[in-house]
Amino acid sequence: MQQTSSSLRARTFTSMGTVVSLTIPLKGDAHTTVDELEAATAVVERVFTELDSIFSLYRPASEASAMARGELTLEEASEVMRDCYADAARWRILTGGAFTPERPDGVVDLSGIVKAQAIREAGTSLLALGLRDWCLNAGGDVLVNGSPVPGSGRPWLAGVLDPADRRTLLTAFPLGGSPPVMNALATSGTSERGQHIWSAGLSPSGLAMRQFRQVSVAARGIIAADVLATAIMVGGQRTLDLAVEEWDVAVLVVKNDGGLLATPGFRLAAG
Amino acid sequence: MRFRAGVSAAIASTGILIAGWQYGLHVSDSNASITTTAAGTNGNASSNGAAAGGAGNGGAGNGGSGNSGSGNSGAGNSGSGSSGSGSTSGSASAGASAKAGGTYQGSVVTTRFGSVQVQVTVKAGTITDVTALKLTDDDRKSVQISNRAAPLLRSEVLAAQSADVQTISGATVTSEAYLTSLQAALDAANF
Repeated sequence: MQQTSSSLRARTFTSMGTVVSLTIPLKGDAHTTVDELEAATAVVERVFTELDSIFSLYRPASEASAMARGELTLEEASEVMRDCYADAARWRILTGGAFTPERPDGVVDLSGIVKAQAIREAGTSLLALGLRDWCLNAGGDVLVNGSPVPGSGRPWLAGVLDPADRRTLLTAFPLGGSPPVMNALATSGTSERGQHIWSAGLSPSGLAMRQFRQVSVAARGIIAADVLATAIMVGGQRTLDLAVEEWDVAVLVVKNDGGLLATPGFRLAAG
Repeated sequence: MRFRAGVSAAIASTGILIAGWQYGLHVSDSNASITTTAAGTNGNASSNGAAAGGAGNGGAGNGGSGNSGSGNSGAGNSGSGSSGSGSTSGSASAGASAKAGGTYQGSVVTTRFGSVQVQVTVKAGTITDVTALKLTDDDRKSVQISNRAAPLLRSEVLAAQSADVQTISGATVTSEAYLTSLQAALDAANF
């Protein structure tokens, strides 16, 4: 909490229509830290770029675009595409249909899971590079390892935006640290990019019936956090109940009327 | 899910206790009921058809509870004779409880979720109320029960300002929106 910003270093790049930030603590010589950070950021960027080139519906040359145009079937698609679809389909079953890999118009749209997959793969790469303390943020979805103060066991503290005022934090949630409890936090909502939710399978009638304005899920693993946040946003109370029973997660919901719903992990005493 | 398992375990235990009650009443009243029920074997007996094999023990008597006795009943009431009247146990308990209205406390039963004890109220041969006197005090289960999303005031969450945190979670920001975001401010401060 007393962490001063000057003891961290961050680098960013743009991918998948958003900005990805990698933050690590300063260790010893600042130049060494920055060199290490920039090399690591390049590795993370490569992971994102590769997945985006396959899955982006904004790139006409991507495999996903070819499938959307009907030029390629799922059976003919690459193994990466089929694996990702299988993952998303599995999550559709686990979430009782609230999360789905298809748009209402039938086009396969895996953007709801691809970014989380990129974050996970990037995290694996960072560990493989020998980096132990880092915080990776892709458009508001967060995965961490270790601590902002190496060796202290202190967790990273992730702020959760107030959907009514994006300059204000609603609260904060500890991630990582030692012993690590939750290492990922994802937030779903419509205040920034409604299309993301649309593409995650919300029908027009579902939009009208939506109960929640913003859903944040902390979990062990970024894919569970991201998928469940989207699923609860789409499925409302029913999916919220399912998620807190089936998964070890902490959930914070902002309802349409501004009221909050939260599991004990988000309560002040537990925070 | 685990919560549901806990509840169903508690309910199952309740069933076992109720079975025990019926049997206990039956035993305490056995001398009287043997004759009564022998006469009234009729319809009641058929509802306990599965138990008809009888063998005259508790297992048969508790068949009617739907909890298959599961050994607890046998343990609690051991032989105590039952005097071979097993085949009529269903009607026996009905006959006994008709006389024995009132409130009864079951013994404490240990389940894998913790210990459970219930109180049963009987009126005119019918169980009118089952109250949990003691529900599992197992910590794990308490946690699981309470891991539900409940209404919360803003003052009940950890207050935070951007100076306190190292990163920001929010609905997906576009590249343009990022430029004016708190995350951009943090990243700039840490450049």
